[in-house]
Amino acid sequence: MNILRWWWGLLLAFALVAIGRAFLPLPFANEVLIFSIYTMGCNYLLGRVGFISFGQPAYLATGAYGAGFYLFYFGNNPYLGLLMGIAAGIVVSLIIGPLFVRLRGDYFALVNLALAVIIFYLMQKVLADITHGDNGLWYLTSLTSTPILDLTRPDQFFIFAFLVAFALWAFYKYLDDSIFGALCLATKINEDKVKFLGYSSFGIRLFAFVIANTTTAFAGAMYAVYLGFVSPAITGAERAADPVVVTILGGVGTLYGPLVGSVVYTGMKDVLSKIIGNWELVIGFLLVFIMLAGEKGIWGSLAPLLQKLFTRDGKAPDRGGSR
Amino acid sequence: MSSRDEILAVAGLNAAYGESKVLFDVSVDVSRNQVVACVGRNGAGKSTLLKTIAGFLKPTSGTITSDGENLVAKPAFAIAGMGIKYIPQDKKVFSDLTVRENLELGSYASQDYDWVPVFDYFPKLKILMDRKAGYLSGGERQMLMIGRAILGRPKMLLVDEPTEGLAPSIVMHLRDVFKELAKKTALVIVEQNLPLVCAIADKIYAMREGRIVAELKERASIKPEMCEQYL
Repeated sequence: MNILRWWWGLLLAFALVAIGRAFLPLPFANEVLIFSIYTMGCNYLLGRVGFISFGQPAYLATGAYGAGFYLFYFGNNPYLGLLMGIAAGIVVSLIIGPLFVRLRGDYFALVNLALAVIIFYLMQKVLADITHGDNGLWYLTSLTSTPILDLTRPDQFFIFAFLVAFALWAFYKYLDDSIFGALCLATKINEDKVKFLGYSSFGIRLFAFVIANTTTAFAGAMYAVYLGFVSPAITGAERAADPVVVTILGGVGTLYGPLVGSVVYTGMKDVLSKIIGNWELVIGFLLVFIMLAGEKGIWGSLAPLLQKLFTRDGKAPDRGGSR
Repeated sequence: MSSRDEILAVAGLNAAYGESKVLFDVSVDVSRNQVVACVGRNGAGKSTLLKTIAGFLKPTSGTITSDGENLVAKPAFAIAGMGIKYIPQDKKVFSDLTVRENLELGSYASQDYDWVPVFDYFPKLKILMDRKAGYLSGGERQMLMIGRAILGRPKMLLVDEPTEGLAPSIVMHLRDVFKELAKKTALVIVEQNLPLVCAIADKIYAMREGRIVAELKERASIKPEMCEQYL
């Protein structure tokens, strides 16, 4: 029964996504799922470790180009492309992580933004011979059909993305409940105290950094496979704040925040952009409102209300209540 | 005590916060299961001494050895891993984690999941297990910090002002706990509560302006009125 108590929200959230698929356009549903995976890494870094990163497009591009290079130059199996994207994410995170996780607050945010800009110019200009610059790498028509779930078909890609997102949510839920999750939160609260318990806070931050950015790279690889194309635009600095905005919108550090934030953000982008030109303005006002209302985000504000609604005594559970 | 029993030897220790020198040629030694107290006025360098031993402040010169190992080059987490646990003054626990999770962190680090001794010393923690540590009182936080630190049976506890701001009944409780703990582990306590210090200490170092100015080793000399002159 405990399992049901812990997982009902997750099952319900994904049931809603599955039901929503019947009413929503397929590209929208696919974008929501990929975007929510993209946001999961940022959400973990910000909510559990206390790292705010404006450079997530750098890791998104790492995964996208990892998959893109393989699919354009070496092979045409989308699953192998995804694996290449994940591998690229792990390698880059392991190389960069030991340097970046030593930094704090503003410096961490800015050095990541700088990395995104560096990767953008590398892909657009310095490595243009192999990346084809702004034209990007196109391989949509050369992707081969795959058994069981054919990722070249958008409807089957949706099922795949749905399963991946669900598995990643389960993974992050496990991580949150594990001793490592507690250590991440402890590091965020007071790094020195983690040290005098006998833990290396550097190691904890590095591991969290690799996990979060590999998740982001996975999302990048999924974009590369889904779109059949990759270009430097994926790491453009103008989109650097997107995952942070979605994380705050959904609710920092909450398990369902990335999904809720992605649905709202992508939905507003799609719907509002057809009605008004400057849809970002509405998002901006919404963010200001959320901050003034208590910084909890949409899910962070809704969760206590839902708990009151669904628990008999109306009291929120003591542990993990808003998650 | 013979040097064979010595588990901490600090010799000629100098430390500074930037340009501001705080410790001057401090030498301290602690034997197995010994309770050593440091007394002195605010700013005398007592807390800095503990922080330096625990690895949070690198000394500018001098040596710190424990069981033959040089601690100076070691990071703080490695020193804790050697069984030298530091309990700071501020009583800040991991406020967003429950009491259980706080203890789990201590257990995982030391691979000691036997919480019976913790509950023997602090039965109250047992009924607070699912409460977030941020909602504990000052005394309960201190219990949690000590309880967490004794997991893994450390060879030495470095305790900074454990009774500051606590109710007299809790201070008495902590005094009894320290007496019991001293049977199994060495304690280095920085404390201004002289009756408590004199009740539990085997040796007292008096500090003034970053220097050791007196060392009281004889039982007869460990009295509040003897220590008062250094406050």
